[in-house]
Amino acid sequence: MEIDALRQRLKEIVGQDFVLSSNVDLMLYGYDAYLEMRRPDVVVIPENTEQVSQVVRLAYEEAVPVTARGSATSLSGGPVPLKGGIVIHFSRMNRILEIDVVNKRARVEPGVITLDLQTAVAKKGLQYAPDPASQKTSTMGGNVGENSGGPHCLKYGVTTNHIMGLKIVLYDGEVVDTGGKAPDRPGYDLTGLLVGSEGTLGIVTEITVRLIEQPEAIKTLLGIFETIEDASNTVSAIIAEGIVPATLEMMDRLVIRAVEESVHAGYPQDAEAVLIIELDGLKDGMERIADRIIEICLANKVREVKVAKDETERNILWTGRRGAFGAVSRLRPNYMVCDGTVPRTKLPEVLRRVTEIGREYNLPIGNVFHAGDGNLHPLILFDCRNEEETARVREAGTKILRLCVDAGGTISGEHGIGLEKLHEMSFIFSPDDIAALWKLKNAFDPVGGFNPGKVLPSLAS
Amino acid sequence: MNIVQLKKLQYEEVAKCTRCGFCLPNCPTYAVRRNEASTPRGRNAITRAIIEGRLELSDDLAEAIFTCLGCGACTKACFPAVNTKDSVFSDRACLTEVHANPKIFEKLSEALNEYHNISEDDNEDRAEWQEYLKDVPGEFIEKDHAEIVYFVGCVASFFPMAQKIPADFATIMYHAGLDFTILGGEEWCCGFPLIGAGMPEKVAELKAHNLEKIKRVGAKKAVFSCPSCLHTWKHLYDTDIELLHSSQLLRDLVGQNKLDLKPVELKVTYHDPCDLGRNTGVFEEPREVIKSIPGIEFVELPNNRNMSVCCGGGGNVEMVAPDLSAAIAQRKIEEILSTETKTVISSCQQCLRTIVTNARRQNIELNAMDLTQLVLKSLSQK
Ligand SMILES: Cc1cc2nc3c(=O)[nH]c(=O)nc-3n(C[C@H](O)[C@H](O)[C@H](O)COP(=O)(O)OP(=O)(O)OC[C@H]3O[C@@H](n4cnc5c(N)ncnc54)[C@H](O)[C@@H]3O)c2cc1C
Ligand code: SF4
Ligand code: SF4
Repeated sequence: MEIDALRQRLKEIVGQDFVLSSNVDLMLYGYDAYLEMRRPDVVVIPENTEQVSQVVRLAYEEAVPVTARGSATSLSGGPVPLKGGIVIHFSRMNRILEIDVVNKRARVEPGVITLDLQTAVAKKGLQYAPDPASQKTSTMGGNVGENSGGPHCLKYGVTTNHIMGLKIVLYDGEVVDTGGKAPDRPGYDLTGLLVGSEGTLGIVTEITVRLIEQPEAIKTLLGIFETIEDASNTVSAIIAEGIVPATLEMMDRLVIRAVEESVHAGYPQDAEAVLIIELDGLKDGMERIADRIIEICLANKVREVKVAKDETERNILWTGRRGAFGAVSRLRPNYMVCDGTVPRTKLPEVLRRVTEIGREYNLPIGNVFHAGDGNLHPLILFDCRNEEETARVREAGTKILRLCVDAGGTISGEHGIGLEKLHEMSFIFSPDDIAALWKLKNAFDPVGGFNPGKVLPSLAS
Repeated sequence: MNIVQLKKLQYEEVAKCTRCGFCLPNCPTYAVRRNEASTPRGRNAITRAIIEGRLELSDDLAEAIFTCLGCGACTKACFPAVNTKDSVFSDRACLTEVHANPKIFEKLSEALNEYHNISEDDNEDRAEWQEYLKDVPGEFIEKDHAEIVYFVGCVASFFPMAQKIPADFATIMYHAGLDFTILGGEEWCCGFPLIGAGMPEKVAELKAHNLEKIKRVGAKKAVFSCPSCLHTWKHLYDTDIELLHSSQLLRDLVGQNKLDLKPVELKVTYHDPCDLGRNTGVFEEPREVIKSIPGIEFVELPNNRNMSVCCGGGGNVEMVAPDLSAAIAQRKIEEILSTETKTVISSCQQCLRTIVTNARRQNIELNAMDLTQLVLKSLSQK
């Protein structure tokens, strides 16, 4: 089918206004928050599952690739249409369909903004726990696609631990449900398989999530340290004690400075590291745990521990953390995040090596990360208009991920593989492993139409 | 403007955009249109692509570039604080240069050239609003010399719906014993609509004229009831005289006990105009004035101060995409109604006009008042 005929058929499915194909529109649907850009041939903005199903069926019949897109905040090229084709933008499928207070479940369309869901359920005394720093703009579909994590996932688990069921559109347009409100569905765990599949196995059109009670009390502490080492040792010591705080987030000096310049979160600019430690749960006993944490901080040479006095102070501390990625772009226009994970005990050593790599490649590197679960995010700062520098950044990035793997960790904590880390997949998987994954991919997507070129490296390479 | 100038002016600014998308939920045009071209991120990507030679200046761009409200909400949500609206206005100037701009702006520019106002009326009729004055003698308003010049602005001068604002404000100043004047037929448009129309170079003549007239009056202060006139003067006019908004002057009068405010039993909310609040930093003065009136019950809008959402009347969008402007106004009206008030106060005739017009169109019962009108109402109570 000619491209014009395809566009015409799509207009019949989703309506004239919701098929975009001008030169400008195609440019605008070619990016996410990563570096690479590719143009789709056409963009559709559907309104419901039926339309998505028809779009996918048409794409299947015409052998055109389909790439799903939420808010395109992915840091690994997830929604970038590498092989062109159709981009499905979920901005209009943004309804919260049901909040079932009694069973603590919610059903949403994939375009619902994470924070909007959190705000809506909070009004009913409930909580949707996964809290990626991008929550005010990321979509639930994107969170499912990337199996997103966030500060509070240390205690509550990442997105996959909160997804009960999905409605998905299969490669030929067929619509199936993988689960629902009930726990422990028999048979294969298709929901678990789909979460984190980055739009390569199916298109999600409805999501059923698990909600939890809001904690009775919250306490937020800010530990200020003279060295990264002290902060890292504190993290290990807290966990070793058997305490699981809701969050254990670390920021280093470069990030602290950038954040302070942009929002005045109250982090001292001369500190080498800060830790945001948040406790939540029953009021009873919380003081005791907080005191114990302060003792541990002191034993690890903390300079000072500040306690947020009220909700406003707590919000300010978190605003700083959530804005950290954005804030560093005040220093240099671009950053690359290396989303590696390492065993917690290896943190000090790996961070030291990261600093060395920065020196070796002559690149500034800042650190802001989920220290509690060893999920690093070294931010390499650069200007992508400088090609030579950009090439150095890619090399340094690969080296850092290699370092994580060698330390017993892995190459992606929460931002996905996308097209960014295809090469690094071979650090983790043998060719046989990858061939096995391809069999799975082919079972779901025999024609290779869903988000081609992502997650799995081609077998030849 | 050509691409070389665009690059010089805006390249570093848009290069700071990391495409993180944090601005998306703050942009009123995205809330309605739901496509990337209507996001701040998309608009910055367009500017960057033009500069890098990846996108040609063409009509294709007009939809994205001429629908930005210039509200500035995106910049507040952006950690690197990318100034999207100024880049967009520069893009408009580039599109104008190659005649890829909406034709309606050519008409606007011709009108300003010929009539020196946006409504194509004889500029001598600028003082028509004085018909609404009750007990203020004309000689108090048009003087050769005065300490304060009241710059009325085009909308309040010519649009019947807004003409009560200058009348009420003049009445308040008269009763407070201030030495003020207007420029009458010698007041020319401040040039603000030309910025949004992508013709910044045409502001120069209007600016030179207005500055010259004010100088002749020997004024120490210029006061504005239109936030956009004030914003334009503050940013583009180089002058030493003090520039302030009517709400600031009213706050000073309240502070000096010069207003005999009497009880008004009314529940009200307040809409922060973009050019007064976010873009000029005046948030508290209007609130202080409202709260100083006895009997008023004041509730904030859910999105207030820096987070205030544009009424839909900004950036000349109404002229090129009236449906978009109306849909944004509709959302504003819904936000106002969610506070369970029937009266919204603002300090911008353009916001009021947009809100009232759209409420009437839908038969929604909503009372929209300028701050000056609320103050006069209080002064006039028995
Ligand atoms: C400043 C910043 C901070 C961030 N912080 C975090 C963080 O703390 N934790 C974290 O985990 N991530 C973080 N991210 C990454 C990103 O925000 C998350 O991956 C997020 O879940 C992406 O959501 P999105 O709506 O933008 O999805 P997109 O980027 O649009 O898409 C992401 C992937 O999901 C797929 N997808 C989207 N919708 C569907 C659907 N309906 N069906 C099937 N597949 C779909 C896409 O094809 C793509 O592969 C951050 C990003 C930025 C820019
Ligand atoms: S304008 Fe700012 S908030 Fe928006 S995408 Fe760019 S960097 Fe992010
Ligand atoms: S200035 Fe307002 S309308 Fe324009 S891009 Fe920013 S938020 Fe959107």
